[in-house]
Amino acid sequence: MVDDFEKLREGLRAMPVPEPRSGFVDRALAQATASAVAVAPRREPRGLRAVLARPLIWGAAAAGALAASLVWFIVMAVRFDVPTEPSLQLALHESREISLVIDSERALEGATIRLYATGSIALVGYEDQAEITWMASLNQGANLLSLPVVAREAGNGSIVAEIEHEGKTRRVNVLMQVRG
Amino acid sequence: MAGSAAEDFDLLMRGHVPALYRAAYRWTGDVHQAEDLVQEALTKLFPQLAQLRQIEQIRPWATRVMYRIFVDNLRRMRRSPVSYIGDEEIDAEDPTWDPEALAEQALDRDRIAAVWPRLQEQHRVVLSLHEIEGYSLEEVAAMVEVPLGTAKSRLNRARNRLRELLTEGTKTIPEPCRSSGSLVSNERGR
Repeated sequence: MVDDFEKLREGLRAMPVPEPRSGFVDRALAQATASAVAVAPRREPRGLRAVLARPLIWGAAAAGALAASLVWFIVMAVRFDVPTEPSLQLALHESREISLVIDSERALEGATIRLYATGSIALVGYEDQAEITWMASLNQGANLLSLPVVAREAGNGSIVAEIEHEGKTRRVNVLMQVRG
Repeated sequence: MAGSAAEDFDLLMRGHVPALYRAAYRWTGDVHQAEDLVQEALTKLFPQLAQLRQIEQIRPWATRVMYRIFVDNLRRMRRSPVSYIGDEEIDAEDPTWDPEALAEQALDRDRIAAVWPRLQEQHRVVLSLHEIEGYSLEEVAAMVEVPLGTAKSRLNRARNRLRELLTEGTKTIPEPCRSSGSLVSNERGR
């Protein structure tokens, strides 16, 4: 059979691969050998270190006395699969701060951020609003979005965060369950 | 002793790191994730230096180690309570649109690069290893630890899916805007 994939193969092989960051090979080898006696390194969501070093924090609302906990890191470049079962559980009327890391490949001026609170979950300070929209600029790399949420009734709920810039939209859904 | 082991490891692996990185980038589609993946693979490989010294074909072996890490990371992410709903990219209208040039455009590397992230991870892996890096199907099957028949069918599905995506991109004139209700119905090519 004639290989009808040849032209596509040429295209695949010509597909550009960006160079790694400068000094990557030296760094990677040095780090691998330096950790010889250590167990495999903890897999940190990329950008976490960048967040800690260079935090851009949007306080979506005053955290107040909320017990802040960095619950999730979201790397926007990663393609998550189909929705999972709700696995974050909150007690009724419990408040918790959820932190999302939005990792942008480049600086985005004037991005539109939309938050949707659905079901049993509300955003603290915006309990009467199902949707909040504002404009913000994202730095290249990790950007931290802190979301204080409150469980207002028993049942399932979610917070959907949507980033829109120049016609492109990325959306993530954080599923939660409130115990009655 | 430790210095010598590190030097040996460097000597054995340095030449393979760029290729591992390129594979990792094709699998992940992201420079930082690719670097992380290679880093993890190297970290896992260093304690196996004694075995590495005995292996003639280091790169396939290292690729297999990296692939396992890649799959583990994917599984971990999919257990995450965070679910990805959509990734809708709205194309700008192309003023140079020329139906007669569609066939050629479809083969253009940039068009392939554009649809590449829409392939399933497993399809990206098998295309990357077999079509780009030139591993035989037997080698690919060993690397991803599936029977040869599975590797073959996975490759066929990957090729077909790539063709489909390229065709989709050429038969539909991009709309300048879409209704807001379309975001959730994201096509993921499952």
